[in-house]
This record gives sequence, C-alpha cells and structure tokens, in this order.
Amino acid sequence: MDMENGDSKGLIVEKEHHHNGRTMPQNVSSTSILRKKSDPMLVSNIRFKMLRQFLANLQEVILGTKLAVLFPAVPLAIVADMYSFGRPWIFALSLLGLAPLAERVSFLTEQIAYYTGATVGGLLNATCGNATELIIALFALRQNKIHVVKYSLLGSILSNLLLVLGSSLLCGGLANLRKEQRYDRKQADVNSLLLLLGLLCHLLPLMFRYATAGLENSTALCTLQLSRASSIVMLVAYVAYIFFQLKTHRQLFDAQEEEEEEEKAVLGFWSAFTWLVGMTIIISLLSEYVVGTIEAASDSWGISVSFISIILLPIVGNAAEHAGSIIFAFKNKLDISLGVALGSASQISMFVVPLSVIVAWIMGIEMDLDFSLLETGSLAFSIIVTAFALQDGTSHYMKGVVLFLCYIVISACFFVHKIPPPTNQTTVNIGVGLSSGSGLTA
Amino acid sequence: MASSQSSSHQEPWLLENGNLKSLTKEMRHGHGRTAHNLSATSLRKKSDLTLISKIPYVCLRQMLANLQEVVFGTKLFVLFPAIPLAILAECYGFGRPWVFALSLLGLIPLAERVSFLTEQIAYYTGPTVGGLLNATCGNATELIIAILALKEHKIALVKYSLLGSILSNLLLVLGTSLFCGGLYNLRSEQKYDRRQADVNSLMLLLALLCHLLPMLFRFAGASAALTADPTLQLSRASSIVMLIAYAAYLFFQMWTHRQLFEAEEESEGDGDVAEEKPAIGFWSGFAWLLGMTLIIALLSEYVVATIQDASESWGLSVSFLSIILLPIVGNAAEHAGAIIFAFKNKLDISLGVALGSATQIAMFVVPLCVVVAWIMGINMDLDFNILETGSLALAIIATAFTLQDGTSHYMKGTVLLLCYVIIGACFFVSNPPFNQANVINSSGLKMTTKAVFRV
Repeated sequence: MDMENGDSKGLIVEKEHHHNGRTMPQNVSSTSILRKKSDPMLVSNIRFKMLRQFLANLQEVILGTKLAVLFPAVPLAIVADMYSFGRPWIFALSLLGLAPLAERVSFLTEQIAYYTGATVGGLLNATCGNATELIIALFALRQNKIHVVKYSLLGSILSNLLLVLGSSLLCGGLANLRKEQRYDRKQADVNSLLLLLGLLCHLLPLMFRYATAGLENSTALCTLQLSRASSIVMLVAYVAYIFFQLKTHRQLFDAQEEEEEEEKAVLGFWSAFTWLVGMTIIISLLSEYVVGTIEAASDSWGISVSFISIILLPIVGNAAEHAGSIIFAFKNKLDISLGVALGSASQISMFVVPLSVIVAWIMGIEMDLDFSLLETGSLAFSIIVTAFALQDGTSHYMKGVVLFLCYIVISACFFVHKIPPPTNQTTVNIGVGLSSGSGLTA
Repeated sequence: MASSQSSSHQEPWLLENGNLKSLTKEMRHGHGRTAHNLSATSLRKKSDLTLISKIPYVCLRQMLANLQEVVFGTKLFVLFPAIPLAILAECYGFGRPWVFALSLLGLIPLAERVSFLTEQIAYYTGPTVGGLLNATCGNATELIIAILALKEHKIALVKYSLLGSILSNLLLVLGTSLFCGGLYNLRSEQKYDRRQADVNSLMLLLALLCHLLPMLFRFAGASAALTADPTLQLSRASSIVMLIAYAAYLFFQMWTHRQLFEAEEESEGDGDVAEEKPAIGFWSGFAWLLGMTLIIALLSEYVVATIQDASESWGLSVSFLSIILLPIVGNAAEHAGAIIFAFKNKLDISLGVALGSATQIAMFVVPLCVVVAWIMGINMDLDFNILETGSLALAIIATAFTLQDGTSHYMKGTVLLLCYVIIGACFFVSNPPFNQANVINSSGLKMTTKAVFRV
C-alpha cells in the first residue's frame, strides 16, 4: 500500500498543500487516492501545440481517475434516454456515470482552490464537497419529489456514518491487527456534536406532529415554520463550523502528512473552471435522469423507492470517498478516514439539508425537516452509535464490524419496508394512527 | 489510557478462606474462561474429603466424592432441597404458585452448577472448545426457559424474560457491584479497562437497533396487516446479523484481542501454584451436565406452566414476574460473584460478568430464539413493545455513559441501581393483559387498529 505505484505519489504531492484551503481531509483523501498520474508521453508527439495542450488537459481531467472506466456510462445513459430504452436502464447507467463525475468535481474544486487562496478554496470545498448530492436533491425538489430529497440525503448521512466509517474501521483494523490504531478524538467530537444538533432539528418537527396529533389543522403550518427556522439555525451552525475549521482550530482538522514534495496545479484556472461548469451540467443531466426514472426502476426491479434512494443512491454518490477512506484506513491513517466520513456526514446534515429546505421555500414548495419515524429513528441511532464508537481515540476491527452490521440491519429494514410512497407531497409516510388529523387534512 | 493500568495493577489475593483459594487456582487456568465464568467460582467452597475417606469400597468412595464435589461444591447448595420439593408439589397437586416459587428457588443453585460443570469439561477440551462451550452455555438457564416457553407458544414470556435478563445484568448486577465496590473501596482508586466495556456497549447498541427497527416499523407503517409480514422478515434477517456479530465477537474475544478480556490475575505469592486440576472426570462431568440440564428443563417447564397462576394468585403482573423476578433468580450466582469481585476492587471481572452476560443474551440467546421459533414455525419477531424497548434503550445508554471514563465510584452504582428500581416499579404498576398467543400489544395495536379503520 505504500508507494509502489504512481497514484500514491500523486496523492502525497497533493496532500502537502494545507495552505491552499485543502484543509478538509474529506477532500484530501477521497479524491486524490483514486487518481493516477497521467502519462504525458502519449500526447507529446502530437504536432500542434494548441491541440497538444488541449489533449493533455483532457487526459488529465478524464483519465486522471481510476474510475474512468465508468465514464462510458455517461454517453450511454444519454443515448439510452434519446432512443428511449427501458427506463430502468437509464437509471442504472446514470447512477454508474455519476460515480466518476462526483470524484472529478472534487478534483476540479481542488484545482481551482490552488488559484483562489486558502479561504475561498476552503469555502469552495465546504460547499462543493457533496455537489452530487446537492444537485440530485435540487432536481428532485424541482420535480416535487420531496420524499426522494429527504430519503437520499438521509441515506447519504447513514452511509457515511455507518458504511464508509464501518468498512474503513473494519479494513483498517484487520490490516493493522498488531498495531495500535489511534486518531484524534477531538475532531470526531466536533462532528458528533454537529450531527446531534442536526438530529434535534429533525426530531422536533417529528415530535411536534405526534404531540399535536389531536389538534386538526395547525400542525402542518407550525411544522413548516419550525423547519424553516431550524434550517436557518443549521446554516448558522455550519458557518460557525467552517470558521472553526478553517480559522481558529485548523490544527484539529489538518491531515498530518509530512512528506516533502513540491506540487503545483495540473490545470489552469479557467480551464478548471470551464471543466467544472461542464461537469456540473452533465451531473445535472444525469441527476435529472435518475430522479425522473427512479419510480420506473423501482417498479420494474420490485425494490421500493425508499430502499433505492436511501441505500443505492448514496453508495454511488459516495463511492469515491468510500474507496479513499478505506485506503487511508489500510495505511493506519484513521484521522483522514474519520475526516472523510464524518466531515461528509456533517456537511450533508448541516448544509445540504437546510439548503434544500431554503431553496424549496424560495420555490414555494413546502418541504419540512420532518423525516418519518423510521428514518429519524435510524438517523438518531446511527449518530449515537457512531459517537459511542469514537469515544476513546482508539480503534479495532470489532468497532468496524458493529457499525457495518448496523448498516446492514438498517438496509434490511428499508428493503422490507414496502409501503407505497405518499402521493401527498409534504409528508413521507406518516404513522397514520397518531397523526390522523394532519395526515388527512394536509 | 486507562487500559495500561489494568495490567500493572495487580494485587495479591486476599486468601482468608478456602473458597478464595480454590478460586485463584482455577483462574490461572486460561482455558478460554471469560470473566463471566470466573465469577461463579467465587461461590464455591472447597469440599471436605475427610468425611468420605472412611468408606471402604473404592468405587463407592469415588462416586461419593464425585457427588460431594458436584452437589455440595457450592454455597448455594442449601437451596437444592427446593428441587425435590418442587417435583413433589407438582406431583401431589399443591398450589401452583408453590410449584412456581419452589422451582425458581431450585433453579438458582442449578444455574451455578451448570457453569461449574462447563468449566470442568473445558479442562479436557482445551481453550477453544472450552471457550465456545462457555460462550454458549453461560446462560443455559435463560436459554432453556426461553425455548420451553417458545414451545408452549408463550412468546411474550420469552421476550420478557430475556429482556429482563439484559436489564438485570446491566442495571442490577452492575449497579450493585459498582455500589458495593465503591463504598468498600472508598479511598482507593477504582479503575478498569474501558475498552472491554466499549466493545460490549457497541454490541448492545447493535442489539438495540435490531429491536428498535421492528418497533418503529410498526408505528410508522400504515396498518398492522401491512407490516406484520415485513416485520417478521426483518426480525429474522436481523437475528442472522446478530448471530454473525456474536461470532465476530467471539473471534475477537478469543483470538485476536483476548488480552482485553482476560482477567489478568497472576497471584504469584501463594503456595499451591499451578497444581490445579479438574475436580471430576470428563465423562462424569458430561453426565452430570446432562442430568442437570434435564432437571433445569423440568423446573423451567414448571416455571413456564405456572407463571400465569402465580401471577394471578399473588396479584403481580406476568410482565413483572418475568422481567424482574425470573432474571434475578437466573442471575443470582453471577450476581453474587460480581459483587464479591467488586469488593476486592477487581472491577474488570465484575464488568466482564455483567456486560458479557448481557451481550450474550442480547446477541446470542435472543436471535437464537427467533431462529428456533422460525424452525418451529412460530412467528416470533424482535418487536418488543415500546415500554420494554424504551427501558432497554435507556439501560444500554445509561450503562455506556457510566462506563466511559475507566474509573468508578459508588455514585455510578447508585444511579444504575435506582434506574433498575424505577424500571421495576414501572413494570410493577403496568398491568397489560397477558396475551398468550402472540404479541405484547398494548398501545401499538390500539393505534394500528385506529389506522385500519381509517384506511
């Protein structure tokens, strides 16, 4: 696992760069680990300088990742859509195509961060780190599929906390069986606290609905107001977290790598910017396919929408981070693995979720923070079990096993949970008995 | 952090009396023994062989020695007479509450003896098989009661008694241990290795998830008809996951990280070093184990059959009897052992007993019951009711928080103990209709029936 191959060198090169706003281990690991040093030999014998540069650039961006093998899925998905193949096919191909794109976006964000300096770069990373999830959520919102928004974001948090973290700790624990595996628990604590705040914001609207079950009409409006206020609070908390992370306590979050090597940006600023815009557009296109075909895929595969959006979507969206996190765990660099998994989870919980609520508000859609009982319960449990697992600053594979099995149980739960998604746009399937009035009158 | 303390923190045994000595002897023997079994040894006493040495015939003498070793080897043997009395009471048709009470009393010494016999057999089979044997038979009584109750389709009783056993281990056994240990060692530092506690807490949290999801499922679901089947499937899948987790835990405990779980006691000072050998032979131990298991099964059957009558004649609810009383009896030997070790400021062993036993029940006995029920064609799911699951969640979280920092004082014990008292009071006053057939259904069904009408 050390540096036998080209890509781990490229990784160290990039990791050096703390001061360019690359402080979040989330970005350090997930993306750079999957990159490979592209071979300029191939393009150097082309005659025209302009063309050569263009090709070098293209090679850097497209072939710079090991996930490049999945890129063909992107045109295939578009072709499938144009020639109107089966909609499940479009769904599957779009999902596959999203995995490399998600990785490339964070690569491009980093490239841009080289030019903009630490603060802007950090902010850029803080907002674009989970760009795919954000774009999917926004498209689902535009099509009024609020349950897909909620499910996919919830699933992303669960997958980061249990699946990514669990498999990292498991693999890391087995690979380093005889060594001590330590990490800085202060970073984990900050993230746990943020996640707990996020949990409270989801819990209150839920309990609100149960508490006022008897009163007929007021609940929906109150829940909505509460959710919007909570979202603003969550965004404030996220801003404070960014400040904490980038300014006052950055030493907690720095991935402590000391290999000395000079690195420079592989792409020019405008080139990276153009690519980023292009990639974002492709991601939007694929996301639209995904959102548009999810029900068809669910029907034809016989799997519920909730399972697809809670379990399958996030696995794809997090694939790159997941692989990176596991590789760092193998190298016994748990700080980075934790940073990836927890940082991504808090980003979604404290930034993407409230942002979706605010955007929905602007678009006049009534999206609240009230996930349903089962979903909120799973979220609460995941946060608590993760917080407990990370209490003592050491790790062994048993912790990974338990977290991973928790994810399996939750997946099994959503797999058998075949309740048709509500036609009602505001609420995900409610406990009918309790919230009788609100469910029917809304 | 606190982990390094436990190895450097050794003190010689206080060898005041006979049974302690025999205990140290047994402990040196690393035959896959967990702290859980270690505790039971504290109730044993060295049997006095002079009495029978006068008997002329060798064969007879050996048999009597064997008998004495097995039957009188525990301080709890005073309760043995309850066994024939229970059988007599059953045969002559005494009041059924009497049968219940006598059977309960009779189960106490039997539970202790089974773990003694398991250890004896472990001497012959080597550490791995011994460890596995201990891991499966450690809570044999609970398992037998649960399976017999299952056979009579009393699923609520199975759930209640297993839940009660977890609660009692986590709050009562641990609480009294920390309380007594804290008061007795008021001036000395009480440390333990928190890593062992952490692993157990995580396992218990996973178990909690497996109980939580089916319950939430039912509440979130539209109607009872729609959720019954998925709940069952989910419970069975969860049970398999739990058994996998338990297998991983055993692997973790016995191979890769055994240093976390071994009670590191190396009393070098005393005279009888290492010349410890099994008190009885392999086949004799095996035969005794079989016999004991049969008696336990008999008494368990009495208990299961008469609990309803006992409940009615004493005016106590079945849930109280099975959540509070049954587990106190089943855990009596371990309980005493845990407290004795806490008095000696060996909290690692006390924690190992209480948490190990709770983990074993939550991650092994409960899923095993679900799987056995599946094989028998009985629809048992993991959905305890909201009150029970809530108590379980609180017990696990409170225990996990208590054991966060690697030290202890009596206040921690007090809080845990009082939690148990409150939960006991709660089940004492709650008197749900005891449904023989299937679910515990108090509030849940009411809600879902409402839903059925509406949908």
